[in-house]
Amino acid sequence: MTEMLKVENLTKTFGENKVLRGIDGTVNSGQVIVVIGPSGGGKSTFLRCLNLLEKPTSGKVSFEGTDLTGLSEKALDDIREKMGMVFQSFNLFSNMNVLDNLTLAPKRVKNEAEAKAQTHAIELLEKVGLADKKAAYPDSLSGGQQQRVAIARALAMDPDVMLFDEPTSALDPEMVGEVLKVMQDLASDGMTMVVVTHEMGFARQVANEVWFMDGGNIAEKGTPEQIFDHPQNERTKDFLSKVLAQ
Amino acid sequence: MLRRKNYFKQLLLSLGLVLFAFIGLLGTITPVHAADNSLQRIKQKGVIVMGTSPDYPPYEFITKVNGKNKVVGMDVQVAQQIAKDLGVKLEIKQMDFDSLLVALETHKVDMVLSAMTPTETRKQSVDFSEPYYHARQSIIVRKQDKRLYKNKDSFKGKTVGVQTGSLQQNLANKQMKGTKKKGLTKVTDLILSLETNKIEGIVAEDAVAQAYVANDSRLASIDAGFDLGGDETGTAIAFAKHSDSLVNQVNQSLDKIKAKHLTKQYLASAGKYMATNTQNVSMFHYWTYFAKGIGYTLLITAIAVVIGIILGTLFAMGRLSKRTFIHYPAVWYIEFVRGTPLMIQVMFVYFGVGMLWNNIPAFFAGVVAVALNSAAYVAEIIRGGIDSVPTGQVEAARSLGMSHRDAMQTVVLPQAVKIIWPSLGNEFISLIKESSIVSIIGVTDLIYQLRAVQAATYRGVAPIAVAMIIYFIITFTLSRILNRAERKMQHD
Repeated sequence: MTEMLKVENLTKTFGENKVLRGIDGTVNSGQVIVVIGPSGGGKSTFLRCLNLLEKPTSGKVSFEGTDLTGLSEKALDDIREKMGMVFQSFNLFSNMNVLDNLTLAPKRVKNEAEAKAQTHAIELLEKVGLADKKAAYPDSLSGGQQQRVAIARALAMDPDVMLFDEPTSALDPEMVGEVLKVMQDLASDGMTMVVVTHEMGFARQVANEVWFMDGGNIAEKGTPEQIFDHPQNERTKDFLSKVLAQ
Repeated sequence: MLRRKNYFKQLLLSLGLVLFAFIGLLGTITPVHAADNSLQRIKQKGVIVMGTSPDYPPYEFITKVNGKNKVVGMDVQVAQQIAKDLGVKLEIKQMDFDSLLVALETHKVDMVLSAMTPTETRKQSVDFSEPYYHARQSIIVRKQDKRLYKNKDSFKGKTVGVQTGSLQQNLANKQMKGTKKKGLTKVTDLILSLETNKIEGIVAEDAVAQAYVANDSRLASIDAGFDLGGDETGTAIAFAKHSDSLVNQVNQSLDKIKAKHLTKQYLASAGKYMATNTQNVSMFHYWTYFAKGIGYTLLITAIAVVIGIILGTLFAMGRLSKRTFIHYPAVWYIEFVRGTPLMIQVMFVYFGVGMLWNNIPAFFAGVVAVALNSAAYVAEIIRGGIDSVPTGQVEAARSLGMSHRDAMQTVVLPQAVKIIWPSLGNEFISLIKESSIVSIIGVTDLIYQLRAVQAATYRGVAPIAVAMIIYFIITFTLSRILNRAERKMQHD
């Protein structure tokens, strides 16, 4: 297994507020890492530091052997091509239909021909079960459909890794399943994934490794069995007892 | 980092101070006159420019001659005689009475003939010719009230109207102590106030009073009975300071006019024009006046909108820029323009910038001022539009490897345009209305023409109603068109 993402002593400070206090971790190719923990623990900030949407205050973020923290914006654009990201609030381009959402970046960033970009896009829409919606505008889709389109959009760039920032938190409960199903399929296809989520069932079934984050630190790391069945850290125990009691 | 910020703040503060000092300096520059070449200059130019406020029949007013609007009246004929004697052509510039002396000082005009009385105060800033006409002062009242009043002292505790900046205002202030004064720029507005019972009388020169009484059966006039001294009874021509050679030459023409009693003749022919003006006071008869006004109003607005959108986009980009040397000038410009009245900006461009550029045409100055003003508002609209596109849209684009510029072009701006379209349309419509302010520097827009029709027909309300309806038709049509475009855009 090759090393895809490596984080060393990563910190992030907003004004006086220390959100990340020195994170270390490695994501190997083909791994699914699920990051759990209480709200405000720094999970989303950590994820956004991985593709430098958020600039780390100190520490290193390496992707496929390159340290990203010293790169220019232009060099970062090239790196971000290979790191897909899915947001809590979907962020589909509201001025474009579904197909254009998928083909925009391949055309503009990779200079793909229209026909090629479209064929690829339709394949991906079939994969997420939304080929019939290619001409629809985002505001006419349900939240679950929008998030599936957003996943397909990220996949259209053929990324090496996919980052998920609480992808089901903004969804109505009945739509959570369809999005998790797509993510599960993606994992079984061998995609490398880092997922921030509150879906404990998904974490237990899909993750290779679960990272528990609290107070800007990774308090505990382990296989799903270790974390969910035999948590060592008091804070992990406390968090899980609250979440699982619901 | 903190130190650097402070340094920038100081820099900006001092830049601001320099700007204010510069504006202040403009106000104190007095043109240097090494030698009096006023006469020579006119002869070299081959034209003498007369400034006047043509709302004061029979001295000066607008009438239609062969279908064209023309300034006529006694003062115009006096000026024609002067031009003839100098062997040069006469050009007439129209503007508000209040702006006339400024126009002289800034050399927008060479002489002012506008029924102006050479008071001591005025003599401090301009030179005067010999008086060429002596008039008595009267008070115009409503006909049915005529028996109530004898002279100026009958108005104690009541309100009389005066033209702002006029000799009559001065006299009323000094000699009608117990009377309230209401000052308005236009005599036509004063007449309207009188007829609608807002004031009880109007202090005016006798010739003016007679003209209105003759043309409006609801009016009458009485002798004001002011205590007048010396030159204050006469009407004279104003020139820029240090124009002795020109003044002397003009005085010779005036002597000739006085010797031949030509003013009497001039008044009679002015009376003829006034009679033809009032023969047909139907608003349809004056449609060419309004048509010209509509044309100018639309032209000013259209040019200002185009320039405003181009400059506004630049200023919005500037304000959104993270670079301080672009960001702060844009912020300063926008805040300064939005924090000062359009009227003052128009006057500043015409008179202030006009000190550096003598022959700045009023139309050009008006359009520039309105466009620069609009740019500041458009900039804020565009910035608001860009700001209102959720940051998630940019983040999504960036996460796909698109550059910031690419994300702006393909994702943010198309969405911003949709958001700002209604506000931009509103700005366009309000510009049609606000551009009316250029009438103060004599641009013949709809408002200016409305004044002209009022002066020509002695009718106060009808022209206002016509102009109001015209404005409404224009803005209503435009807002329908813009709505349609907006709906079409939402469907796309």
